[in-house]
Amino acid sequence: MAQTPELRRKNRRLGIALFTVALVFGLGFFAKAMWFGL
Amino acid sequence: MSAVLPHPVAPGHDHDHDHDHDHAHGQPHGWRRWLFATNHKDIGTMYLVFAFTMFLIGGTLALLIRLELFQPGLQYFNPELFNQFTTMHGLIMVFGAIMPAFVGFANWMIPMQIGAADMAFARMNNLSFWLLIPAALMLASGFFLPGGAPAAGWTLYAPLTLQMGASMDSSIFALHLMGASSIMGSINIIVTILNMRAPGMTLMKMPMFCWTWLITAYLLIAVMPVLAGAITMTLTDRHFHTSFFNPAGGGDPVMYQHIFWFFGHPEVYIMILPAFGIVSQVVPAFARKRLFGYTSMVYATSSIAILSFIVWAHHMYTTGMPVTGQLFFMYATMLISVPTGVKVFNWLATMWRGSMTFEAPMLWAVGFIFVFTMGGFTGLICSMAPIDIQLQDTYYVVAHFHYVLVAGSLFGMFSGFYYWSPKWTGVMYNELRGKIHFWTSLVFFNLTFFPMHFLGLAGMPRRVADYPMQFTDFNQVASIGGLCFGLSQVYFLLFIVIPVMRGKGEPAPQRPWEGAEGLEWEVPSPAPWHTYETPPKLDRTATKVIG
Repeated sequence: MAQTPELRRKNRRLGIALFTVALVFGLGFFAKAMWFGL
Repeated sequence: MSAVLPHPVAPGHDHDHDHDHDHAHGQPHGWRRWLFATNHKDIGTMYLVFAFTMFLIGGTLALLIRLELFQPGLQYFNPELFNQFTTMHGLIMVFGAIMPAFVGFANWMIPMQIGAADMAFARMNNLSFWLLIPAALMLASGFFLPGGAPAAGWTLYAPLTLQMGASMDSSIFALHLMGASSIMGSINIIVTILNMRAPGMTLMKMPMFCWTWLITAYLLIAVMPVLAGAITMTLTDRHFHTSFFNPAGGGDPVMYQHIFWFFGHPEVYIMILPAFGIVSQVVPAFARKRLFGYTSMVYATSSIAILSFIVWAHHMYTTGMPVTGQLFFMYATMLISVPTGVKVFNWLATMWRGSMTFEAPMLWAVGFIFVFTMGGFTGLICSMAPIDIQLQDTYYVVAHFHYVLVAGSLFGMFSGFYYWSPKWTGVMYNELRGKIHFWTSLVFFNLTFFPMHFLGLAGMPRRVADYPMQFTDFNQVASIGGLCFGLSQVYFLLFIVIPVMRGKGEPAPQRPWEGAEGLEWEVPSPAPWHTYETPPKLDRTATKVIG
């Protein structure tokens, strides 16, 4: 069965939040190293 | 494959809706079914097949290493090629075999265990898997590039990585892809578990396999980006004139080690926690008792995950850190044995006065506890700075982490395969063959790796193609053991995996194990292509469907 729109929204919100955490950890760490050194 | 054939309607399946559903999205056939797969069971099967293929490739490299080490002196391979074998063996086993195999288990089992219809992001699930194929090709292509495959060890230490040929770049891109795949897989698992559990399946009623995977997924999201950052800096050092790790430009190679092991130590637990989850499901089923200390198991798993972030420098005692630093990392590492001990004693307490039988899944689970605990003890020995300074980079360490990763992760996966394969394929594997596989693997595993403790204590260094004469006997025992262990796995493929995938064997009942509990046993065997399309009503224990 397809997910209800409400569940789909809820999933998307949590997915984006987790993806942002990963992105901040990875890109943030790399960008900080590039600009300010390790 | 019978593992994924359509099947009569499962509990929690809406009949009227099913009719519409099949018209709207009929089950695809042929190559489209796999290339465009969004069904969690199909994707789980692909992960498992991919991981086993990589396991055989990595195993072949291991046998080439053992072939060279059968005798002192250089017989077959030059030292450069030997180092390529050790590096690629490690990379393939960690990133290509163990991690994808556990994601395969997660895909197959988590939705069924929590009463969900599928994973939360079905298309992203497809992408997570298919990213692995170009990654694996790029990794393996290193052998055919000028200069050969990477030879800096699986840890990819600078400044060696700054001196390698083009294969280092392809390996870095391969790890980027595998990391992206793991992060997407983890996001999928966390969202599925947190948002898609059936009503009544509270977090503290969830099967332990789901709990261990939930915690593992958080670990992956926290540390995979760190590895990606470190290898990207290696890439910019190689091609864009930065000097993060290049001492010639003022960089610090030891900094790479700190960053790598900040990823690398949690990675060890990423590779073992899902196996803990499998064993926590199998032991109660075959002891015919509820898991002893469920709540403490959850907290112990979380504690192990948290502590894994503060122990990374125990891999680096010989880099010249201050004694206070050594003391901190030594005590923090020893602390991990407390929650690990909680888990081991809970498994033993579950078995205590249980009505036990020893079918193949239970044999593998008990084998796991026995041999993994040995690897845990040698881990404690290695955690002590004064001892580790002597043992650093010797075969003692090789023995230790193979006791954890082969006897831990691999034995756990075999236990899970024998436990759940009737649900996947709809047929029972041959029990005698399963037992032959277990006993040969257990004996030959120990024959391969136990002598390595003595070799390490005597001072034989790892990642060296040659050794002095006095190490010959133990090396020959290890090589013979390694060959036989490899043959046991070929036996597993030919006489157990292929027959059950072809549907050969006794038809499996819905619940083939008398003591097994959980929602996966509430659906027929093989599991229908669609399960729990509408949320099932669960009993008070959240292990049975009541409507």
